[in-house]
Amino acid sequence: MISRVADHCFWYGRYVERAESTARLLSTTHNLALDAELEPAACWRPVVVVAGEEDAFKSRWGDDDGAFADGERVEQTLTWDADTGVSIRRSLEGARWNARSIREVVSIDAWESTNELHLYMRSDGARADFAERRFDFYRRIRAGTQLVLGQLRSTMLHDEPLDFIWLGVMLERVSQTARILDVHHHAITTGAPRHEVVATSLWLSLLRSLSGYEPFMKRHQGRVGSDTVIRFLIGEDRFPRSVAYCVHSAYERLCGIRPPTATDLPGGQTLEQLRILDELVRTQRNELHDGEDVHDLLTTVVDEAHAICDSLGKELLGHA
Amino acid sequence: MTLFADYRPLPGTFDEILDDDGARPPFRRVLEQLGRLTPDELARHQQLAELALLNQGVTFSVYSDNRGTEKIFPFCVMPRLVSAADFAHLEKGLGQRLRALGAFLDDIYDGQRILESGLVPPEMILGASTYRPTLRGVRPPGGVRIHIAGVDLIRDPEGTWRVLEDNLRTPSGVSYVVENRVISKRIFPRAFDLARVHRVDHYPTRLAETLRSVSPVASDDTTAVVLTPGPYNSAYFEHSFLARTMGLELVQAPDLFVDGDIAYVRTTRGPRRVHVIYRRTDEDFLDPDAFRPDSVLGVRGLMRAYAAGNVALANAPGNGVADDKAVYPFVPDMIRFYLGEEPVLAQVPTYVCARDDDRRYVLEHLAELVVKAVDEAGGYGMLMGPQASSAEIEDFRARIQAAPRRYIAQHRIELSTCPTWIGDRRQVAPRRVDLRPYVLTSREGQWVLPGGLTRVALVDGSYVVNSSQGGGSKDTWVLKGGAGL
Repeated sequence: MISRVADHCFWYGRYVERAESTARLLSTTHNLALDAELEPAACWRPVVVVAGEEDAFKSRWGDDDGAFADGERVEQTLTWDADTGVSIRRSLEGARWNARSIREVVSIDAWESTNELHLYMRSDGARADFAERRFDFYRRIRAGTQLVLGQLRSTMLHDEPLDFIWLGVMLERVSQTARILDVHHHAITTGAPRHEVVATSLWLSLLRSLSGYEPFMKRHQGRVGSDTVIRFLIGEDRFPRSVAYCVHSAYERLCGIRPPTATDLPGGQTLEQLRILDELVRTQRNELHDGEDVHDLLTTVVDEAHAICDSLGKELLGHA
Repeated sequence: MTLFADYRPLPGTFDEILDDDGARPPFRRVLEQLGRLTPDELARHQQLAELALLNQGVTFSVYSDNRGTEKIFPFCVMPRLVSAADFAHLEKGLGQRLRALGAFLDDIYDGQRILESGLVPPEMILGASTYRPTLRGVRPPGGVRIHIAGVDLIRDPEGTWRVLEDNLRTPSGVSYVVENRVISKRIFPRAFDLARVHRVDHYPTRLAETLRSVSPVASDDTTAVVLTPGPYNSAYFEHSFLARTMGLELVQAPDLFVDGDIAYVRTTRGPRRVHVIYRRTDEDFLDPDAFRPDSVLGVRGLMRAYAAGNVALANAPGNGVADDKAVYPFVPDMIRFYLGEEPVLAQVPTYVCARDDDRRYVLEHLAELVVKAVDEAGGYGMLMGPQASSAEIEDFRARIQAAPRRYIAQHRIELSTCPTWIGDRRQVAPRRVDLRPYVLTSREGQWVLPGGLTRVALVDGSYVVNSSQGGGSKDTWVLKGGAGL
C-alpha cells in the first residue's frame, strides 16, 4: 500500500472521529450548563482546554474567566471557526478532503455519506439547525459520522486501508478520552469542595460526553463516584471509548498491518511503542490510588499517543 | 418521428444525422425509435441523467476557483451517431496519422532526416518551446512514444472529417466516454439495442495492456501506476477513475523516488519498484532536474531512470513538438515522407505566420480568419475574426507582428451539427459538435476505441465546445457494420 494513501486513510479516520467527538462534547456541555448550577466558565473552560484552544481563547477574548464564560461563543467557535483545528467544520472538511484524495480506496457508500455530511455543513440548513434546533444539529453530525464509521466497516475489504483508517480512529479516540478525563477530573476534584449533587451531575456529564452513561450503569448500577467512573473510563476492556480498549485495539490494528514477526518490514518502532503503552495501561489501571496517579497516567497516554503518531508518520506514512 | 418533425438543419452547415429529407440512411431505424419519445419523456430522461452524474460524483474541478469547486460536465442525453462506414474511415486515417507522428518523433529525437529533407523548416521545430533537445538520442522503453492519443476531429459543410488538433501529451476525457455510456444504456435500452453499438467499457483493460506492453520487465512482473497532480487538478476524477478501473495504484509525485536510476514507490512495506508510469502530469513537472529547476514538484532523477530504460513513461516526454499548432500544418507532408502514403484524413488548411507569404495574407484578412496562439490550449488565446471587434483585431495584428512564430490562422469552419435536447425550449435543435476518438499504441500496434468524446456547444450559435467555456458532452454511438442498417 502506498504510504501517502495510508496517510490519507489514517487522517480520514481521525477527522471523522474528531468531528463526532467535538459534536458530542459540545452537546453534553450545553446540556450540563442548563441546570448544573455552575458558573458558565466552570462548564465551558474544560471544553476549550480539551480542544487545545485555551491560549487562542485567551489571546482573542482576554486572560480571565470571561474568555470562557460565554458558552454560545465556545459553541460557535468549536463548530464553525475555520481557524480552530478541532472545529466540526474543519474536521468534516478534513475528512472529506482526505476521502476525496483516495476515492479509489474508500467504498462508494462511505464516500457518499462523507460527502453529504460535508455538503450539509456548508448549507444554509445547517446554519438554521444550529440557530434553532441545536440538539438536532449535534445529533445529525454525530449520526452522520457514526454512519460513515459503520459503512467503512461493513462495505470495505477488511485489509490494510481499513486497518489504517481504524488506527486513526482509535488513536484519535484515546487522546480525546484521556484529555477529557484529565481536564474534567482536575476540574471536579480540585478547588472548593462541591455539593455531592453537583459533583454527581459533573461525573454523569463526563460519562455522557464519552457516550459512557448507559454502559457505565450496566457495570455499576448507579454507584456514581470518582473512583468507579475513572476506573471505568480508563480500564474497562469492553467499553469502546475507554483508554484500555482504544490502546489495545490500536495495537491489534497495527499488528495486522505490520505483524510482530515481520521484522524486515518498517513499523517496528511504532509497534513497540504501542505494545509498551498497552502494557502500561493494563498494569496502571489497578494502581490508581490518588488524583496524582490518574493525572500521571493520563498525561503519559496523551504524550505517548502523540509520539506514536509521529513514529507512525515516519515509519509507515511517508512523512519526512 | 414526432420528436424530429420540426427539426431543421442550419443553413450552410452539415447535419450529421438528418438532412432536409429526414434521417440519413444509416440512422433511420434508430431515429424512428428515438423519435417516438415525447418531450416530457426526454425532459425526464435528461433530469435522471444529470442526477446520476451528480450522485456518482462525475465532476471536474474548475481552475479559476482555488477552493477546488467541482462541477458536472454538462451532458446531453441525445446520443451522437457515427456510421460504421464513417468510423472505418476514421480508424484507417487515425492509424496512419499516429504512425507518421510516431515516426516523426523518433526521427526528430534522433537523426532528424526530415529537417535535412527541407520539408519542414528546421527553425519551426528546433525553435519550438515544446522541443526537448536533452531528449535527443533517448529511446523510450518498448519503442512507443504516443501510447495514448486523443485526436480532435470536426466535419465541414460537405461532411468531410478533418483533423483539428492532435493531442499527444496527456489527452483527457475518456472517463466521460465510459460514464456517458453507462447512462445512455440505462435511459435508451431499446434504441441502443436496435442500433447495434460498439462497446466502450473495455477501454481500461486495453489501456492496462498497452501500459504493460512497454514495461522493461515481463508483463506479469510489471508494476504500473497512474501519476496524478492531485485532487485539485481539473481531471482528477478521471485519474481516479482510470486507476480504479485498471486496478492500479494512483500515485502523486512525492510517492515516487529514484535511486540508482530505478524508480520506486513508497509503500507501507518499504520501497517497491515501478516499471511503467501512466503520467497525467505535465512534463514540465516530471523531474526538477530535467525540465524546471525552479520547480519543487516532480520526481528527482526520473528522467535519468527513463533514459536508462528502467521505467517507461506514457506518454513519452517530448511529444509536445508533434502536436504543436505550428507543426500541425506539416503533418500531411510527414505522412508522405515517412510512410510514402497519401493522407487518408483531411485537416484544416492553415496559414503559418512565420512564413512571409502566409503572414501577409493573414494580416490582410484578419476579420475572416481564426487566429490561434500555438502554445495555448482550451480555446484561450484565440481570435475569432468574424465575431471580433476592431480593437481585438488590432490587438492581434500587433501580437502577430511582434512574434509571428507564435501564431497560425485558419478559415473558420462551419462545424457540423447533431440533434441536441434543449431543455428550456423543450425541443431538439441542431448544435455544433466535435469528436475526440482515442488511439492506443502498444508494442504490438494500434487500437482505436470505437467511440469517443463528443463535445457539443450547447449555446445557440456557439462554436466553442470546450468544457471550460460552456460546452457539454454526448454519448457517441459507433454503429456496427453489416446487416440491419
